[in-house]
Parts: sequence; C-alpha cells; structure tokens
Amino acid sequence: MIMLQYLALAAILFAIGVFGVLTRRNAVGILMSLELMFNAANINFVTFNKFIAPGGLTGQIFAAFVIVIAAAEAVVGLAIVLLLYRNWKGINVDRINIMKW
Amino acid sequence: MSYYLLLIPLFPLLGFLINGLLLGKLNKKIVSIVACGAVGLSFLWGLKLFFNLLALPADSRIIEEIAFTWIPSGEFNVNVGFLFDPLSAVMVLVVSGVGFLIHLYSIGYMHDDSGYGRYFTYLNLFIFSMLTLVLANNYLLMFVGWEGVGLCSYLLIGFWFEKQTAADAGKKAFIVNRIGDFGFLLGLFIIFWSTGSLNFITVFDKAPQVFAMGAGLITAATLLLFLGATGKSAQIPLYVWLPDAMEGPTPVSALIHAATMVTAGVYMIARSHVLFLMAPTTLMVVAIVGVATALFAATIALTQNDIKRVLAYSTISQLGYMFVACGVAAFSAGIFHLMTHAFFKALLFLGAGSVIHSLSGQQDMRFMGGLKRHMPTTFWTFLVATLAIAGIPGLSGFFSKDEILWKSFSSDYGSIWIWAIGLFTAMLTAFYMFRLLFLTFYGGERMDHHAKEHLHESPKIMTVPLTILGVLAIVGGYIGIPHILGGGNNFEKFLEPVMGNVQHGGEEAMVMASSGQNGGTELMLMGISVVLILASIYLAYVLYVKNIALAGKIRQSLSGLHKILYGKYYVDELYGAVIIRPLIGLSLFLWKIVDVILIDGLLNGLATIIGDISKIMRPVQSGLLRRYTTVFLLGVVLILGYFVFR
Amino acid sequence: MPGIKIELLIPEMFLFAWALFLFLYDLGAKRKNSQSLGYLAMFGVAVTAVLLSLFHGGMVFGTMFQSDQLALFFKVIFLGAAFMAVGASFDIASEKIHNHRGEYYGLILLSTVGMMFLSSASELLMLYIGLELTTIPLYVLVAYFKDDRLSVESGMKYLIVGAFSSAILLYGLSILYGLTGTTDIVLMKINLSLVFLANGKIGPGLILAIVMVIAGIGFKLALVPFHMWAPDVYQGAPTPITGFLSVGSKAAGVVAFARIFVNGLIGFATDVMAPLDWGIIVAVLASAAMILGNITALRQKNIKRMLAYSSIAQIGYLMIGMVAATDRGISAVSYYMFIYLFANMGAFTIATIFNDKTGSDGIISYAGLSKSSPGFAACMTVFLLSLAGIPPLGGFVAKYLVFASGIQAGYTWLVILALLTAVVSLYYYANVIKMMYFSSESPSYKIKPPIPAQIVLFIGVAGVVIFGLFPQPILNLAAEAAKVFAF
Repeated sequence: MIMLQYLALAAILFAIGVFGVLTRRNAVGILMSLELMFNAANINFVTFNKFIAPGGLTGQIFAAFVIVIAAAEAVVGLAIVLLLYRNWKGINVDRINIMKW
Repeated sequence: MSYYLLLIPLFPLLGFLINGLLLGKLNKKIVSIVACGAVGLSFLWGLKLFFNLLALPADSRIIEEIAFTWIPSGEFNVNVGFLFDPLSAVMVLVVSGVGFLIHLYSIGYMHDDSGYGRYFTYLNLFIFSMLTLVLANNYLLMFVGWEGVGLCSYLLIGFWFEKQTAADAGKKAFIVNRIGDFGFLLGLFIIFWSTGSLNFITVFDKAPQVFAMGAGLITAATLLLFLGATGKSAQIPLYVWLPDAMEGPTPVSALIHAATMVTAGVYMIARSHVLFLMAPTTLMVVAIVGVATALFAATIALTQNDIKRVLAYSTISQLGYMFVACGVAAFSAGIFHLMTHAFFKALLFLGAGSVIHSLSGQQDMRFMGGLKRHMPTTFWTFLVATLAIAGIPGLSGFFSKDEILWKSFSSDYGSIWIWAIGLFTAMLTAFYMFRLLFLTFYGGERMDHHAKEHLHESPKIMTVPLTILGVLAIVGGYIGIPHILGGGNNFEKFLEPVMGNVQHGGEEAMVMASSGQNGGTELMLMGISVVLILASIYLAYVLYVKNIALAGKIRQSLSGLHKILYGKYYVDELYGAVIIRPLIGLSLFLWKIVDVILIDGLLNGLATIIGDISKIMRPVQSGLLRRYTTVFLLGVVLILGYFVFR
Repeated sequence: MPGIKIELLIPEMFLFAWALFLFLYDLGAKRKNSQSLGYLAMFGVAVTAVLLSLFHGGMVFGTMFQSDQLALFFKVIFLGAAFMAVGASFDIASEKIHNHRGEYYGLILLSTVGMMFLSSASELLMLYIGLELTTIPLYVLVAYFKDDRLSVESGMKYLIVGAFSSAILLYGLSILYGLTGTTDIVLMKINLSLVFLANGKIGPGLILAIVMVIAGIGFKLALVPFHMWAPDVYQGAPTPITGFLSVGSKAAGVVAFARIFVNGLIGFATDVMAPLDWGIIVAVLASAAMILGNITALRQKNIKRMLAYSSIAQIGYLMIGMVAATDRGISAVSYYMFIYLFANMGAFTIATIFNDKTGSDGIISYAGLSKSSPGFAACMTVFLLSLAGIPPLGGFVAKYLVFASGIQAGYTWLVILALLTAVVSLYYYANVIKMMYFSSESPSYKIKPPIPAQIVLFIGVAGVVIFGLFPQPILNLAAEAAKVFAF
C-alpha cells in the first residue's frame, strides 16, 4: 500500500506539471512545470524499483539518467528563453505567434 | 528466341533523353530528326514484330518477355515485362504509326515556336509512355504508362502557358484524371487482393476460379476499372477536361486527345475483357455510359463555333461508341473503331491545324469559309475524313461504326435502344461534321482582310502526313469488312486469339449471317443508317451552304418565341423548326447548363468544398504555443477515453 | 568479457568523436574558410557509413544495444539525411551563420548519433536516451538563427512541445516498467503475457502507458493530433534542419515505434489481448493525419509549410504499414522511409538553395523557375512527383507496397481513404510544378547551386529514380530488416 502513496504523489506532481505547462504564460514557468513532470516520472521509476523489481537497479539508473537529460533540456530551454527575451523584450509565450495556419 | 519487345518503347525513351538532356543545345533539325527517327524506328520494329506474329499459328500468337523484376513482394512479383499479342500489336502500330505522322506534321506546325525542343521532348516521352501502356504485361506497368501519358498530356496541354486558360486546362486535365486513376488503382487492388497477381495472363487464368460470375466483388473491381477508363477516355462524368484540353497545340490534340491517349480506356477494357465478361452489370453500365456520352457530346457539338471544340466533342462522342462496343461485349469492334477513328480523327485535327495555321491562329468557324480554293490538299483530305466519320459506305468509319451498331443490336448484351440512340448519334455526327466542313471550306470568306491575304496551303511536311492519313482513312476499314458484305472480317479474326469468341456465340452468328437469316436484318439496318446519314448531310448542306441565313434565323428564333410566328416557312424551314431547332436548343442547353454549370461546376465545387474545410481547420493552428500543448493533451485524453469507454 | 562485441559501437563512437572534433576545429580554423567545416562533416558521415558496413550484427551491453538489420537499415537513412542536410547547408553556413559553424555541423552529427542509438535500442532506457540525444541538439539547431524571430519562435515551440511530449513518454515508460519490472522490450512482452495468462486481464495501467507512449512517439512522427508544432517549426527552422527534422527525426520515431509496439506490444494487436488493440487507434490517427495534412496543405503559400503538412500526410501513409504489423508492412515502411529520405531531403534542399538565392519561401516566387534554371526545376519536379506517388518513381513503389500490406492486413478502409487523399495531395504538389513550368514570369536570376548541394540534388534524384525503377536491392534489405521481429 505504501507503493500506492508514492505513486499518488508522482501522479499529483505530474498533473500539477501538466497544468502548469498548459496555463503558464511565462516561458520560465513552463520550463519549471516541465521539470515537475520529469521528476514525477522519476519518482515512479524509483518507487517501482523498490517495490516491483527490488533485485535490480534499473529504475534508479533510469532516474539518474533522466535527471541529467532534464538538466540538459532545461539548459537549452533557458538559452532559448534568453533568445526570446532578446527578440521580444519579454518571455510571454502568448506573444510569440508570428507563424500560424 | 527473343523478339526484343523492349526496343519498341526504348527508342522514344532514348529520343526523350537525348532531346531532354541536351535541351537548348541542339538545333531544330537535329531535334526533329532524333524525335521523328525514334518514333519511326519504333514503328518499323513494331511492324517487323507484327509480321513475326503473323508468321506464328493463330493460337500461339502471344509473345511475353520480361525485362526485369520491378517490385518483388513475396511470391507475387511485379515485373517490367511486355506482352505482344494481336491486340497490343494493333495498338503499337496505331500509336507509333499515327504518332510518327504527327511528329512529321509537327515539324512544320511548330517550326516557329520558341519551345520547339521542349515540345518534341514531351512528345517522345508521351510516345514512350503510351507504348509502355499498350505493351505492358501487367496492370501495374500499364498504370505506369497510364500515369505517364497523363503527365505528358498535362505538360502538352499547358504547353502555351502564357495563356492562363492553357495552364488552367492542363491542371484540370491532371486532376480529373486523378479521380479516374483513384478508381483504377482501387480496382487493381481488388484484383491483386483476389487473384494475388497483376500479370494479365495469370489474372485472366485465375479469374474464373476466384470470382463468381456476376458477383459483387468482380462487379466492383470492373466498375472501378471503368471509372479509370472514364477519366482517361473522357466519358460522363469525367469528360470535362477534354474540351479544355484543346488549348494545347493542335498536333497534340490530334495525337493525344484524339488518336491515342484517350483511347487507353477502351484498350484497358478490351484487355480486361475476361473480367468484364464476368460482370454483366458492369457491361451494362459501360454500354449505357457509352451511349449516353455519345449522344450527349454529339448534341453539344452541334452548336460549337470553335473548330477544335467541335472536334473535341466529336472525339468524346466517338469514344462513347467504342465503349458501347465494349459494353455489348463486342470488344473487337471497339478496337476496330479505335483504329479507324485514330486515322480519321487525327486527320481531322491535323486538317483543322492546317486551317488554323493558315489563318494565323483563328479557330472560330464564323470567321472562316471558302478555304476550299486556297487549301486544296487540306480540303480534300478533310473531306475524306469527314465522309469517314460520318459513316459513308466505302470509307473506314462506315465499317467500324456499322459493326458497332450491328453488334449493339444483335449482341446478347445489346438492345434496340442502344442501337437506336447510336444511330441517332450517327445522324448528329454526320450533321455537325458537315456543318464544320461547310462553314470552313465553303461559302464566303468571312475572315478579315489581313488574314485573307495570308491564306496559303500548308508546307509539304504537313500535307504529306495528311495525305497518308487520308489514304488510311479510306482503306483502313477494308481489313474488317463484315461477312455480309462479302468480306472476311479479318480484323476480328486477327484479334480472336485475344478476345476469344465472345461475341454472342460467334460461330453461330457467323453462320446465321452467311446463311442470310440474320443477314437480311443486318443489311436492312445498314441501309437505314446510310439513308438517315445521307439525309442529315443533305440537311447540313441546306442549312449551311444553300441557305445560310436560315441557320442563323433558327438560332435567333430561340431568343424570342414571337419571331417564330413571324417567320415565313418553306419546307426546309419546317424541317428546321421541327427537328433542328429543338436539337440546337437542346445542344445549347446541354452545353451551357449541363456541361458548363452542372458537371464542371460540380467538380469545381468539390475543390471549393475541400478548400473550405481547410479554411475551417485554420483557427486550430493559431500559432499559440499553449494551444498546441492543449491539443496535445486533448489527444492523449481522447485516446484514453476511447479505451476506457469502449 | 566474452560475448561483448564492443566494436559494434565504433560507428557511433566515431561519429560522436567527430562531432567533438568539429567543435574544436572551429576554434582553431580561420574564419574565412567556412567550406572546410562542411566538407569535414560530410567526410565524417561518410566514414561512419563505411565503419557501419564493417561493424554490425550483434548485441552490446547484454541486449541493450542491438546492431541488427533493422538498426542498420535505419542508420543508413539517418546518415543519408545528415549527409544531405550538411551538403545543403554550405551557403547558409557561410552567409547566415557567422560564428559557431562548427557547432552547427557538430550538432547535426550529435543528433545523428542519438538517432543511431535510438534505432539500436531494444531497451527502454537506451531508447529514451537515444530519443533525447536526438532531440536536444535539434532544439538548438532549430533556433540557430539567434536574431531571426521566426527561428527563435520555432525553437521555443519545438522545445516546449518536445519536452512536454518527452515527459509524457517518460511517464508512460515508467508505468511500463512498473507493470513488468523490466525495461527490456522483449522481456516486457513476456512478462505482460504471463500477467495476462495469470489474471486473465491487464490492468488499466497498461492502457495509460500505451496511450502515453503513442503520444510521446507521435510527437516525433508529427502524427495528428500531436503534430501542431510541425508546421511552425518547419517554417521557422533553418531549411536544411527542417529537412533533417522531417526525415531523420521522423525515421527515428518510426524505428522507436516499431521497436516498442510491433516488437514489444504486438500481442495486443492480435486476438489474444484484443481489448488493447493499439492498431485501430494508430489507424485512426493515421487517417486523421492523411486528411488533415493533405487538406491543410492545399492552402499553404509557403513552400516549407506546405511540405510540413505534406510530411504529416506522408507519415499517415507510412503508418498504414505499421498498423498492418506484418513483415510485409514493416519492410514496406522501411522502404517508404528510405525513398522519403531522397524525395523530402531533395525538396528541402531545393527550398534551401532557392531561399539562399532569392530570400523567399513563397510558392509564388517559384514562378517561371523552369525558364531561368531548368535543371533545378526538373529536380524539384522529380521530388514532388515522387512525394505525390507518380510511377515509376520511388514514391509510387513505396505507396504501393504500404497500401498492399494494409489491404493484406485487412485495413481496406484505410487504404481507400489513403488513395482518396492522395488524389487531393496531387493538387498542391502539381501547383508548385505549375508555378515553375506554366508561368509567364521570367525570373532574372539564375540558380546555380554550390557543388555540395549539387551532389545532394544528384543523390536525391538518382535515389528516387533508380530505387523506383530497381527497388529490389533495397527491398531485400528492408525484408531483412523486418525479419528482426519474428512474426
């Protein structure tokens, strides 16, 4: 039953992340929400490792890799947010819609 | 022993490659030598193979050669292979022969055109594709040629793209043909699915085992094939592109839109006759669509003033005849008419081209007239072709058209109604063709002063092909003289190994014909049609030579009923009022309402609707990032919902 | 350790090292010499291809890294896409990118390394890392024109939608791991079957996982409704990168999809576990892609946007082979992707060169191109006709095979829909051809592509024509590739 609590935490975290991505106008806010989603998955991995497949370490290794990947993604993301700021003088994603249809 | 069938399409392909890769680097003389030479060689090689074929016993007149495996898919490979049997032999000779003459003619016709090299490049590509189409030993390779000729037709219709109409017409042809191709491809898939092969011989061998006679599947497959044929061969409802296709250079109209490409649908059905014979429903549809198209297009042709448009509608109408022949299971008759039609219609177009050439591009018959004196060769050859298409005894068109009419009457699949409509159409044909002839070559010279001074007979390079085609238009029919007239119907016999003896119990009918039981009927029908055709020619003569004002009057009278009451009718006018006037009215109605508004509008409307759908979809793609992620999530939720609430 | 054939990683390691070498080389190279970097990158890709031909066949790290025929086939596609993208980039690199040319080329190679790992992954962790290694360099590349608003906007959109989908995919993968206790795809399949046999059903977790994985990979494939980013990103990104995205990244998605679904979850497409039939869902998504892609493409005025929608439609056609989930289907998909490489990279290369010369991406600007640059226009015509599926070009054979596999697998309605939408698609392809050939405009410029771009165009035309006429060798390889999944 303890596993379910961990999983619920992850699910809630994931939902918050999704909600943030969909509603935030601030590009940095969106990136932060994305981090929540990645970390929710990480919690899942670690939890499953502990309760489902305690013999191996796959889940934990997976989580470690994901942390690295998420960091890389955040770096690139922040760099692009910087470009956004340079070109639009702001980081409101609703303003970047030159291309449509 | 290898017959090197590959050589037949290879020559034009080489011509295409030489002229295409060295575009703009060769002078006109070399371009024309390469292009004409390539087609000429194809013709000669085809002729040689034809005699090889004749040397074989009738039952084994079938040569199949596989060049290489194209698409290997499991045990059912698709090969690039060629099939040379009497049917494809006829097609090869017609395509390369008529094609060669038109190439020659084009040297004169296109001489001053800036796109000379490009023109011959396309033309060679066309011949290559067309020969691939008729020589293919499987449906898929046939489809390759089918698409190839469509592409060339598109390129050549839009050849003079400086004219917006030409560019639009090209695109229209392409798109309408695609609708047909959709049907064709779908039909192919059904065949492939059922028989596991696309090779003609295998498919036809297996067809009786996998399809039940008249079952839904074979009917669907053949109807889809027929849809493909209606696109390529300009039948109702997909005929709309052909009149517009007249925007292309006239030799192109002669080659592609009269003699060869548009007959591809007829060829395809004749080739697949084994399948079509298993689907009586389809045959009925083919016959009805054919006869309806024949009548419909002939009616419209009555009132057209553009010389090429008359011929275009006439082509549609004659193609209708060929489909009637296929529909009543008289496939040989259809191919016979295809061949004679190639001769005389190519001749008509080339003659019209000669006229247009001489009048510096004028195509409106109201501004022609009296050309007989100025262009004797063109006139005489044109007259021959007109007599042939009208069905005057002794010329090729008579034999082939009469064969179709007789088969539509006597075949098990035929009916007296098809015969009657066909006969009526033949009268209309004679009428509008002679109208065209009289308006163009007789009467006063209605062109403006400037044009009158430039009137001249076309150069030798153009008149020689005309003369050769003229001879063919006369003698082309003599290979298929029916038994009743003392001939041996050699053409049908020649095609028999391919077509089998499918025509309403062949032997029996033949015996009946010669014994005179049915022969009397056949002769009588023949007589009726000749008399009626002569009558309508006389009518055209009265209206457009003897009493030109009358025709105008009849037309005018349509604009207001009161004028009719005012008129002082002679017998001729009564005739006109009762028969011609309603016909002309019908013709205008069909053309302006049904053709231009209804069918053309329907196709255009389809395009507009698709465009509108695309407009509706636009707001979703709003450019807003958050909407993109929302749609993304919505997608996830929807799919999830599908699984949960199923 | 015995049995570990570490040398199988040599192609990837070489390409990786070569990318780093390009980073460093750019530091030392004289600024004037912008060409040498491009040639070096092309050279690196070519060497990798040679290495690949020497080292393949086997497994590394247990079963994590599969160097099988499927991986080999797709790696050739990735390398081809990278080669062509680099070849098309020379003018852009010398005129629009003033600093960091080495990074530009290096990142293309890095992304290619990611794709190569992805195609070899038979294990979720490897798959995910490969996917990210593919995508992260692409985020940078898409936004590479730092002062061009379009480029930055597309970079932002790509990154956020990409990271969003990646997070969703990751969450789905974590559930798969939780359900089976393993990340090995084949073991996963076995464990799932065992669970199913024991309980008679599979919990709702699997549904969630499958949907999330479809969405995550659907992003890579630009499958409707996960396609929204594609038109904007295709339009805004540097054009060679757009081509690379549309071919390389897409092929990576295809192979990942095949590995997870056709290999791992195939059981659910059959009667054994009918309640979880992912085939029907993907079929519906594919048909949506065909309809939406083709119809929206009709109204596009920008060639890159038009090609974006066209590629959405193309992926719809391709997925028919995937849902067929037979060896025929998979080999058809592989062949399709292979031809698509030439046709689409070719078309985007044309768009690149045209933009370099005229500064425009408008379809209307192509008016009269055949008069000023006939060879160039002829190449574009060949590419478009292949995309439209006109025989005898490769695109036709590809469509034929995919459709045939679809019919064989019983998805007749899908094939009919595909044929119908293919009719529509011809309209917008023909529109470009009409512009180039049937226009009275006479452009004053004459387009003469730089040598590397000429090579790329030559490869493209040759590929489409030769492999259209003689598809046998490729089909044999594709059939080998499909054998990886023991159907």
